Amino acid sequence: MGSPEPLEKDSVERTPSQGTRDATEPRIGVFVCHCGSNIAGVVDCVKVRDAAEKLPGVVVARDNKYTCSDLGQEEILKAIKEGDVNRVVIASCSPRLHEPTFRACIQRAGLNPYVLHMVNIREQCSWVHAHEKENATQKAIDLVRMGVSKAARLEPLEAREVPVERAALVVGGGVTGIQSALDLANMGFKVYLVESKPSIGGVMAQLDKTFPTGDCAICILAPKMVELSRNPNIELLSYSEVEEVKGYIGNYDVKVRRKARFVHEDKCVGCGVCTDVCPVKVDNEFDMGFAKRKAIYVPFPQAVPLKYTVDKENCLHFKKGKCQLCVKACTNKAIDHKMEDEVLDFKVGTIIVATGSETYVPMRKGVYKYWEYENVISALELERLLNASGPTGGHLIRPSDKATPKRVAFIQCVGSRNKKIGNNYCSRVCCMYAIKNAQIIKEHEPDTEIAVYYNDIRAFGKGFEELYHRVREEYGVEFFRGRPAKLSEDSATKSITIRAEETLLNKITEREFDLVVLSTGLVPSEGSKRIGKILSITTSPDGFFMEAHPKLRPVDTAADGVFVAGCAQAPKDIPDSVAQAKAAASSAAALMLTGKVRIEPLTVAIDEDLCVGCGLCAELCPYGAPELYESEKGGTKARIIEALCHGCGTCAASCPQKALTAKQFTDEQINSEIVAALTPICGAQKPPQKKNAETEV
Amino acid sequence: MGEVEKTFISGLKEKLVEEKVIDESQLDRDFAKEITKYGGKDVMTCLQCGNCTGVCPISLKIDYKTRSIIKYCQFGLKSYTLGTRWVCATCYRCYEHCPADINPAEVMIALRHIAVREGVIPPFIKVAATNLVRYGQSVKPDEEINKIRNELGLEQVHSSEPSYKKVLREIGVLIHASKYDKLIGIEEEVKI
Repeated sequence: MGSPEPLEKDSVERTPSQGTRDATEPRIGVFVCHCGSNIAGVVDCVKVRDAAEKLPGVVVARDNKYTCSDLGQEEILKAIKEGDVNRVVIASCSPRLHEPTFRACIQRAGLNPYVLHMVNIREQCSWVHAHEKENATQKAIDLVRMGVSKAARLEPLEAREVPVERAALVVGGGVTGIQSALDLANMGFKVYLVESKPSIGGVMAQLDKTFPTGDCAICILAPKMVELSRNPNIELLSYSEVEEVKGYIGNYDVKVRRKARFVHEDKCVGCGVCTDVCPVKVDNEFDMGFAKRKAIYVPFPQAVPLKYTVDKENCLHFKKGKCQLCVKACTNKAIDHKMEDEVLDFKVGTIIVATGSETYVPMRKGVYKYWEYENVISALELERLLNASGPTGGHLIRPSDKATPKRVAFIQCVGSRNKKIGNNYCSRVCCMYAIKNAQIIKEHEPDTEIAVYYNDIRAFGKGFEELYHRVREEYGVEFFRGRPAKLSEDSATKSITIRAEETLLNKITEREFDLVVLSTGLVPSEGSKRIGKILSITTSPDGFFMEAHPKLRPVDTAADGVFVAGCAQAPKDIPDSVAQAKAAASSAAALMLTGKVRIEPLTVAIDEDLCVGCGLCAELCPYGAPELYESEKGGTKARIIEALCHGCGTCAASCPQKALTAKQFTDEQINSEIVAALTPICGAQKPPQKKNAETEV
Repeated sequence: MGEVEKTFISGLKEKLVEEKVIDESQLDRDFAKEITKYGGKDVMTCLQCGNCTGVCPISLKIDYKTRSIIKYCQFGLKSYTLGTRWVCATCYRCYEHCPADINPAEVMIALRHIAVREGVIPPFIKVAATNLVRYGQSVKPDEEINKIRNELGLEQVHSSEPSYKKVLREIGVLIHASKYDKLIGIEEEVKI
C-alpha cells in the first residue's frame, strides 16, 4: 500500500478556501460492513478498511459484521465520540435500505444526520461480482475512496416539518380498497374511495367460491360493500377516475373525474323499472359475455351503489337520438341524458393505491386456441359458469352446445412463468383456484372426469395442501405433469384433444376433453399503469408496483405518503390482499394521527443572481417545483417551492446558468468523486488505460 | 435382465437399470457450462414442463424425449447424452414453444459438438465427413445422383474434371487447416 498521493490530499485542503463549507477540517469515520457473508463472502472487508484508513481526512476506520445491528450502531457512536468524527461514510448496502437507520444513528451521536454518505458495496459490488473476488475488493476500495472524497464536502442540512391532512384517498374498490377504506374510516379519518366501474367489488365479486374454505365470495364481500356505503366517513366515488394528483406527503391535491352516469345518484332508488323497458341488449362484461344486460344497468344484483348507469356506447338515445323509454318509465325522474362529467377537487394527506390486477388474456394465435375453439375458456369465465348467481345459475355447461361437460381439463400456468411472453413470475392463485374449481365441478357432477395439466403445484397457504389432498383422495381429480403442446378440435363434436408429454411417465399422451379451462395468471391492470404515472410510483420489472422494501416496508412506495396494497403490488389471494389492505391503512393512519411529517431537505437551491429566468427548470421538473416570478430587483426569476421538490436534480443538471444546485449532489461533490475514481492510490494496480494513453501520446 | 424387462426397456434406459443407482462419480457438474460453451443456452433454467417433447415431430415417431435429454444435461449425466441419436432435425419448434426460453435444438447441436470432440461419432457421420473430403460434398455423386440432376435440368457432376479437382484441393486445405480431419479420424484421406 502506498502512502496517500499529494493530489488527493491537496484537493481536500483546497476546498475550504472556497468558503462554501464550515471551516472545521473534515474528520471522517469510515465503517465497512460485512453484512454477514453478503459482502464479506466476496469483498475482503478488512482490506477495504485498511485502505480507507489511509485516505486523506479519515480519522477512524472500522469493519463490522452487521453495521445496522445494535452492536454495530454502538460502535459507530463510540467511534464518532472517540475520534471526534464530523463526517461519516458507511460502506454497506443500498442507501434505499438503511440510510434512515444510519442517519438516526449519527444524529444520536450529536451529528447532523445529513453529513452521512453511504457507499453501496453490496447490491452494486459483492452481489454482482460474486465470481470476481479480487476485482470486487478493488472496486469496493475505489467506491469507498470516492465516498470519502464526497463526504469531505458534505454540508449539514435541516429537515422541515409539514402538517398532514387528516383525509385519505383510496384508489380502487376491490376487496383491498374496500378493506383499507373501512379500516381508515373506522379510525375516524375521512376517506375518498375512487372506483372506475359503476360498482365496487372488483374481481372478487365475480368469483364463485373461495379457496380453501369454500366460502361464497360475494356472500362474504357484499356485507363489507354495504357497510362501506353506509359509513359516514367514506365518500364513495364510483364510476370515477383520478385525473390528477399534485402536492407532497400530507398535502395532496386530488382531481377526480366523475363520469356521467346519466342517472342522478341521489334520485335513483335502484328499482330497476328502467332496465325492464330498455330495448337494447348487449353482453354483460361482469358475466364474461355469457349473459346479456341492458343499456341501462347495474352490473350485478348486489352492486354498491345500487344506482343504474347508462352505457353511452350502446344507448339508443346517444346512438340514434331517440328512445327515451327509460326516462318515461322512471318515476323519480332520475335519468338525465344531458348529464355531464363532473370534476371534483379535494385535499388528502395520504393515498392508498389498490388498483388490483387483471387476468391474462391468451394470445390471439396462441397454442391454446382460446380465440379459435369455443370450448376453450378462461378461468374467470368458468367462475361465472359455476356461480349460483351467474348466467347458468351455477350449472356448468360448455359453450358450443350448452351440454354438461363430462371430461374437463385444466391447463395451468397460462400467462405465468413464461419467459416468452415476458411474464416470468408465478401468479400464486391459479393452482389453488383450479383445484377449488375441480372440487366444485365434482360436487355438482360427481361422474365428471377431471385432469389438471400442471408443471408444479403450489399449495403453500394455510389449508391449501389439505385441499390439494382432498381433491385427489375424495374426488379423484387426476394430476398430469406436463405442459400441453397441442390442442385440436373435433369439428363435429367440438371436443378438444390435448397432446402433452406426461413428464413423469416419459410418454407423449393424447386425451379428449369436452371442456378445457385455461388457468390464466394475473397481470397489472390498465388502471394501475395510469395511476402509476399520475403518482410517479415505480414498478418492478414484472409491471406491478414496487414496494419500498420487499420484507420490511411491504406496503410503502418510493413516493412518501403513497401506499400500495393487494394485487397492484403483486399477484396474491384474498387473505393476503386483505392483510395488505389493513397494513396500508394502518401505515396511512400512523402518518395522519401524528398530524405532521418531516420533509427531506435534499432539495434544490437557487442562486438568484445567476438565474436569467429562462424557465427551462419549470418546464422540465416532473413535480412542478420551480416557479417563475417577477423579481423586485427587476427581471423574471425562478424560485423553488421546497415542499414540492424531490431533489431529483433534473433542473440542476439542465440549468444553462448553473444557478441551481442539488443539495448533497453539488457539482463540486460529484467532481470530487470523479477525481477520486480516476486517481487510484491505495495499492491499486496501474490501470491498463493509463498505459494505453501513454503509448498513444 | 429378464425378457420382459428387455421388451419394455431398451437402449439408453438399459444402462440406467443396470446401474440402478447413479452415484456422484457419474455426474459431471460442469456439463451445463460446457454446453453453453458450444452455443447452447443455460439448460439449468429448464422447468421440465415437457412442452418441447410434445411439439417435437421426432419424439412422436421414435423413443426420443427432448425433455429427458435436457434433464440429463442438468443432472450432469454426460455419458448418457453423448450416445443420443442424431435425430434432431433442428426444426426449432421446441424453441418456439419453450416457456423458459431455452433453445433445445441448439443444445442438441452443442451435444453433437461435444460428442464428436469426445470421439463418439456415429458411423453415418463418418461416412458423410469422408465424402466431403473425397467428393467435396456429403453425398457421393454417382450415377443415381446424376440421373436426378439430369431430370431437374442441372449440370452433370464428374469428379475427373480438372475444375472439380481444384475445388477438392481447396476443400482439403480448409479441412486440414481446421483440424476437421483429425477430429473425424480421416487424416490419411486428406491429401494436400
